[in-house]
Amino acid sequence: MNIILIGMNHRTAPVEIRERLHIVCSDEKETFRRLKDTPTVKETLYLVTCNRVEVMANVEDSESAVETLKNFLFSHVNLTREEMGKCLYTYHGDDAVRHLFRVASSIDSMVMGEPQILGQVKDAYRLCVENRASGVIFNRLLHHAFRVAKRVRTETGIANNAVSISFTAVQLAKKIFGDLKGKSILLIGAGEMAELAARHLMHNGVSKIIFVNRTYERAVHLAREFHGTASDFDLLGEKLQEVDIVISSTGAPGYIISADMITTALRRRKNRLMFFIDIAVPRDIDPDAGKIDNAYLYNIDNLQDVVDENIKERMKQAEKAELIIREEVTNYSRWLNSLEVVPTIVALRKKIDDIIEGEMTRSNSWMKDLGEEERENIDILVSSIIKKILHDPIIGLKEEGENGGADPYVAVVGKLFKLKEED
Amino acid sequence: MNILLFKIALFLYFLSTVGYIASLLIRRVLVAKVSTWILFSAFFVHSIYIVFRWAETGYGPVANIYESLSFVAWSISGVYLAFQVMTKTRVLGAFVSPLAFILAIGASVTLMGDVSMPEALKGSWALVHIMLSLTGEALFALAFLAGLMYLLQDSLIRKKNVHSFSRILPSLRDLDRINHISILWGFFLLTLGIIAGSTWARVVWGSHWQWDPKQISTLAAWLIYALLLHQRIAIGWKGRKAAFLSIIAFVVLLFTFIGVNVFFVTLHDFM
Repeated sequence: MNIILIGMNHRTAPVEIRERLHIVCSDEKETFRRLKDTPTVKETLYLVTCNRVEVMANVEDSESAVETLKNFLFSHVNLTREEMGKCLYTYHGDDAVRHLFRVASSIDSMVMGEPQILGQVKDAYRLCVENRASGVIFNRLLHHAFRVAKRVRTETGIANNAVSISFTAVQLAKKIFGDLKGKSILLIGAGEMAELAARHLMHNGVSKIIFVNRTYERAVHLAREFHGTASDFDLLGEKLQEVDIVISSTGAPGYIISADMITTALRRRKNRLMFFIDIAVPRDIDPDAGKIDNAYLYNIDNLQDVVDENIKERMKQAEKAELIIREEVTNYSRWLNSLEVVPTIVALRKKIDDIIEGEMTRSNSWMKDLGEEERENIDILVSSIIKKILHDPIIGLKEEGENGGADPYVAVVGKLFKLKEED
Repeated sequence: MNILLFKIALFLYFLSTVGYIASLLIRRVLVAKVSTWILFSAFFVHSIYIVFRWAETGYGPVANIYESLSFVAWSISGVYLAFQVMTKTRVLGAFVSPLAFILAIGASVTLMGDVSMPEALKGSWALVHIMLSLTGEALFALAFLAGLMYLLQDSLIRKKNVHSFSRILPSLRDLDRINHISILWGFFLLTLGIIAGSTWARVVWGSHWQWDPKQISTLAAWLIYALLLHQRIAIGWKGRKAAFLSIIAFVVLLFTFIGVNVFFVTLHDFM
């Protein structure tokens, strides 16, 4: 048995090529049928996401299987072998296992540490089980991969810090307000990033949202979409005191919120904390506001700095993750190697059992005179002698198996005991 | 038996201190959770010790300076655990737990010694006075810690340095709330403690108020806390200013607790 993996991801293939495969592979039943029909393929799994296409298989002969799997992919896409060859990577054995672990742990993702990939791997495995394309090896392998992903997530904290502007805004708001339940936002202007931040904040418990825009209709439109309220631009100063978080992203040439306005608002709301997020360029909020007690101001550059720092932190955590993955690959391959000696051990045991049975039948003529208890004692004696004799060789075989050096021993044992291949 | 109980409590304080600090370093919530339970058991064992000790000596648990230290360790742990249940912020434990441990070590120095209660302290008013004041002071210590952490977190957020240390500190709002609630309760208990003390002073020294250095500096701390509460409740002070004032007030209080006995001659010296 050999595990192989061929695939392409965002680093090796442009989106035009990935999407072509994506379409082809979306008919799962057909894909699985064809993959399973491929000679020498015993188990197979395929994973398709926006950023990657991976086909993994447990095969008898890896050389020919890689070729057939490649052909399978080529035959679906209108590309020359050369073009495709550049995009594809191929891994064998431990490297294939490592790659799967890295993918599942989100180390190989475009946004390292993003949580969706594990779910996608789980879905891929579910499809594989539903289509009866998985066996002992893959069941164990995939469950191992899920465990590794969990270990990486809890032990490295790779996904702890936001790596997008909008999530960073949420994280900062939590640092200031703790729980965001019952908090309110004022969104000034419009813009994709501001709306995204508002959406994330609402996801995290913010319940009230007010929209202010130079064009009142736009504010009303947004209010309808977000189940919020719209307010007139001239009332901005008064609305400030009603909210905890202000997100501003207008196209105004100068400051639309002055430090004085903030001081007044804070006084009116008895100094309850306020968080200002200014993602407009040029800036909307007077930078002096950052010095006011109980007001916290972040502009787009500040947020970007936090994001950059978080990305660096993720890189550091990724190194830790690689160590965990290396360790787990070793664990898995030990188990996999130990499987190699299993047929030999089974055959050995069967042979011995057959011998005992034969001898017992032959001795039946004189043993029948013995009492029930004595016959039982003879049975126990024989089987315990056999057990003791076989104990060390079997342990030895297993150990050699785990270390990956079982081949000569399997051959010798097979030859000396004249074992027939059961497999 | 009593000594053994105290030693167990001391050991548990030590364990929870190690646990809390480890949880900061390796950032695992589980470790902090376990530490909280260890601290809780330390508090529990310590409570049993206090009850037994009380039964044994016949005096309250604050007969001398060492017993007082033990009592402060006990009450600060109790107050913190109550807050922990209320606010779910565990990180304060990393500061409270070592504090309780150090106080308990201080207490253990002459724990074996006999209790010789000064005449002036034999009386239930004296006992009430000491216990209320010490618990109040433990609350103020907690307010002080929360205040320090608030200032730290505030400056980290302002400097846009929200990575390393800021991450493990609680949110500003939680810290402000802990600061406010502990000052509110601390003030209430200290006020009752002062009233009890002055009632007792009338009995042993003949008048309610002696203008003793200890009394004066306690009054000063009390006034600062009164001012702080007034600003908070009437003016709506929050955050940085309140945290800062609570730190100053605690320094004055600490001087009252320790410094006065060193630098001045005071009636109020029973060491």
